[in-house]
Amino acid sequence: MIRPRTAVAGATAFRPTVAEAIAGLVLVLLLVAALWPNLLAPGDPLAVSHTDAFRPPSLTHLFGTDESGRDIYTRVVHGASESLRIGVLATAIGIGLAIVLGFVAGLGPRWLDFGTTRFVEVLFAFPGLLLALLFIVVTGPGVLSSTIAVGLATAPGYARIIRSQVRRTAAAEFVEAARVLGRGRLWIITRHILPNVTAALFVLATLGLGQAVIWVSSLSYLGLGAVPPAAEWGAMLAAGRTYIANFWWMTFFPGLAIVASAAAATVVGRGIQKRNRSAA
Amino acid sequence: MPSRRFSRPRAAVVLTAAVALLIAACSPGGGTTGEPTGEPVAGGTLTYASGDAEPSCLDPHVGGNYPQALIATQYLESLVSLSDDGEVIPWLATEWTESDDGLTWEFRLREDVTFTDGTPFDAEAVAANIEHVQDPATASSTGYLALAKIENVVAVDDHLVRLELSAPDSALLESLSQVWVAMESPKALERSQEENCAAPVGTGPFVVDEWERQESVTLVRNDDYASPPADVEVPEGATLPYLDSIVWRFIPDSASRYAALQSGEAQVIDNAQPDTIRSAEPDDAIEELDAPRPGAANRIELNSGKAPFDDERVREAFIRSVNVDDGIQSLFFGTAERSYSPLSSVEPLGLSEPDRFAVDTAAAADLLDEAGWDERDAEGYRVKDGERLTLDFPVSTNQSIPAEQSLFEQIQADAKTAGFQVNLHPLDLSSWYGALAENDYDLVSAPYTKVGPDVLRILYHSASIEPAPSGYFANLAQVDDAELDELLTRASATSDAGERADLYAQAQRIILDGYYILPLYDQQNHFLYSSTVRGLRAMPTVSTPTFAEAWLAS
Repeated sequence: MIRPRTAVAGATAFRPTVAEAIAGLVLVLLLVAALWPNLLAPGDPLAVSHTDAFRPPSLTHLFGTDESGRDIYTRVVHGASESLRIGVLATAIGIGLAIVLGFVAGLGPRWLDFGTTRFVEVLFAFPGLLLALLFIVVTGPGVLSSTIAVGLATAPGYARIIRSQVRRTAAAEFVEAARVLGRGRLWIITRHILPNVTAALFVLATLGLGQAVIWVSSLSYLGLGAVPPAAEWGAMLAAGRTYIANFWWMTFFPGLAIVASAAAATVVGRGIQKRNRSAA
Repeated sequence: MPSRRFSRPRAAVVLTAAVALLIAACSPGGGTTGEPTGEPVAGGTLTYASGDAEPSCLDPHVGGNYPQALIATQYLESLVSLSDDGEVIPWLATEWTESDDGLTWEFRLREDVTFTDGTPFDAEAVAANIEHVQDPATASSTGYLALAKIENVVAVDDHLVRLELSAPDSALLESLSQVWVAMESPKALERSQEENCAAPVGTGPFVVDEWERQESVTLVRNDDYASPPADVEVPEGATLPYLDSIVWRFIPDSASRYAALQSGEAQVIDNAQPDTIRSAEPDDAIEELDAPRPGAANRIELNSGKAPFDDERVREAFIRSVNVDDGIQSLFFGTAERSYSPLSSVEPLGLSEPDRFAVDTAAAADLLDEAGWDERDAEGYRVKDGERLTLDFPVSTNQSIPAEQSLFEQIQADAKTAGFQVNLHPLDLSSWYGALAENDYDLVSAPYTKVGPDVLRILYHSASIEPAPSGYFANLAQVDDAELDELLTRASATSDAGERADLYAQAQRIILDGYYILPLYDQQNHFLYSSTVRGLRAMPTVSTPTFAEAWLAS
C-alpha cells in the first residue's frame, strides 16, 4: 500500500555508500565552483598570456594552459557555473513542461489523456538530441536556444513518468478517502498528489541534470551553444580537439569535468531513488 | 533489500566515449618508406583530403574562390603559366604580342589540344570562355574582376585570338595565368549552369567523373592529355599524368584530416594545423609543401564605411592596441611569419612597414579619447554618447584554421583591454558572405589570391565597393580615396616596370597610412603529404598543388 509521504521521508535513514559519498563531494565541489568560482580559482578565465601557451600541467598551471595561454584549471572551475546553470535550467524547463503534460494527462478526462499521451509518444519517437537540433535549426544557435532545446527534448521522457506516477497516486486509497471526505480537486492535487510525485521528480531532476550537462556540452561542442572563448566545458572540448594529438590536457580536463559531474549526478540520483523505493 | 549499486551503464558510456576520444588521437602514423626511387610509376589512386569548404560549383568561373581553384587546377588549364621565378611562360597559348598602345593583345594558340569532350581548343573557344566569365548570368567575381578591361575578343583565325582592351592592362598576363579564367569546352559551357558546375570540361590531366556531395569528387585520368605548361619536362617514354584517379575528399575537421593522413586513408591534406606540421617534421613518412599564396597577405580589414571605423583615429587605436606578433609566434609554431604589408611576401613589389604596427596602448588610449570615446562603462568598454564601442567580427570557419580563430580570440582579449568590445561570430561560408553583403561587420579577414600586385586595385579601388555579379565585393575595408584610385588605375595601365613599382609603393603607403588593414601573415597554404607521393608541386601561379606529374611509390 502507498502511504502519504513527502520527498524528505525517503532520505531519513541516510547512510551513503563510498561511491555516493564521493559523488556527493563532487557535487558539492561543483556547486561551490558554480556559485563562488573565485574561491577555488581566483584568476580570470579569459586572461590571455601569449608566453604561456600550450603549457603542460604543472604546479603553476594545474591543468596546463590552452593555445592562448589561458589557465585551464581556472577555465574548468569557472565553466562549472556556465555548464551547471545551463544544465539546471534545461532540466527545470524539461521537468516544468513535463509536469504540465503529465498532470493534464494523468488527471484530465480520458480524451485529453489520450491526446496528450499520443503527443508525448510522437515526441518520444525522436531521439532527444535530434529534437534539440531541430529546435536550434529553427531558432538559431546560442546559449539560450540550446538550453531551451535540451529542456524541450527531455520533457517527453519526464512527462511519461510523471503521468504514470500521477495516475497511480490518484487511484490510491488515501486520495479516494480525501475525495469521499469532500475535499476539493485542487486541495487533493496540492496536498496529496503533488507531494507524492515530488519525490520521484527530485530523483528525475538529479538524474536529468547529469544528462543535461552532457547534452548541453554536446551542443556547444558542435558549435551550437556557447561560443569561444567562453569557458564552457563543451566549447573547451571542441577548441582543444584540434590539438588533441599534441596537447592532450586541453581536452582531457574539460572532458573529465563533464564525466565527473554527469557521473556524480547519476550516482546521487540513483541513491535517492533506491532509498525511496525501499521506503515505499 | 539487496543493495543494488548505482546504474553503471550511463557512467560507463561516458567514460568509454572519453577514452575512445583519447585513443583515437593516438593512432599510429603511417609506415615509413625509403628514399625516392627515380623512375615514376604509372597507376594508382591518390586521395586528397581538403579542409577548405566544398565548392558549390566546380567551375571556377562561377564565383571564383580558392577551394574551386584547388580542385579545378587538376582538370582545367590556362592560356599562360608562370615559371618558378615568376616569368610568364606558354601554356595553351604558345606566344603573344602586345600592341604599342597596350590596347590590343594577340595570342597564338596550340593546335594539338582538344577538350576532354572532343571539342577542339581554338580561338573560338577562348572567346567563348572570356564571354562566359564576363556574362553577368555566370555570377563570376574573381575572374570577372581580373578580366574587367577586356572589351572585345576576336578570333583572327582558328588558332590566333585578339583581345581588345578598354585601357592598357599591365596585369593581363598574370590575370590570364589564373585558374579562375581557365579554358573550358565551349560545348560544355552551353549546358545549363547546374550541369556545368557538376562536371566542367577542360583540357587538364584529369576529368571530373563523379561528385558525391558532402563527401568527395572523383577525378579520373585524361588519357589524351597533351598540354602541360612549358616548364614541365616529360621523361622519355612516359605519358602524363601517372595517376589513374584522384579521390578529392572533404574533411573539414583538421584533427580528422591529419588522422586520415597518418592512417594512410589520405595521401595529401591541405590546411595543415601548425602544431601538426611541427610534430610531423621528424616523421619520415610525412612531407610538407609550403606554398604561400600570391596576392594579398592575410589581413584583418577595418570597415571604414561605417561607424566607428569611419574615424581614422579609431582605426589606428585598434591597430595600436592589439599584439599580434606574440600570438602568431605561439600559435603558429614558427610556420608563419608576421606580415607588415598589404601584399604577400611572394610579391616582389610588396611594401613592408614593421614600425607602423608596433603596439602602443598609451597612444591608442589618447586616440580614443580624442575621437570622443573618452568614457568607460562598468565592464571597462569605451563609451560615447551612451553607446558602447562595439565591433562585429564575422569569422568564416571554412576559411580560417583553428589557430587563426584562436589568434582572433587573442586580438579580442587585447582589444578589450583598450576598451573595444569585439564580438566574434563564427559563421559558415554562406552566412559569412551574407553578413558581408549586408555590411554587417566592422572587422573581417578575407583571403584574396591573385597573381601580381594588381590585387591592390581589386581590393582597394573604390570601384570594388560595388558588388561583382556574384554579389561579392572585394573592397571590404571600403576604402574610398580618390588619390589611391588614381594611383592604382595608373599602375595597372603602365607597362614601365620602374613606374609601376613606384606607383604600387605609393598606393600601399596610402593604405597603410590610413590604418585600413592589420596585416597578419601570408595566406597560409601548408600541405602535408605521405612520402609515397612523388612529383607533387604547387603551381607558381596561384600556389595550388598540381597532380599532373605526381605518382605513387609503392
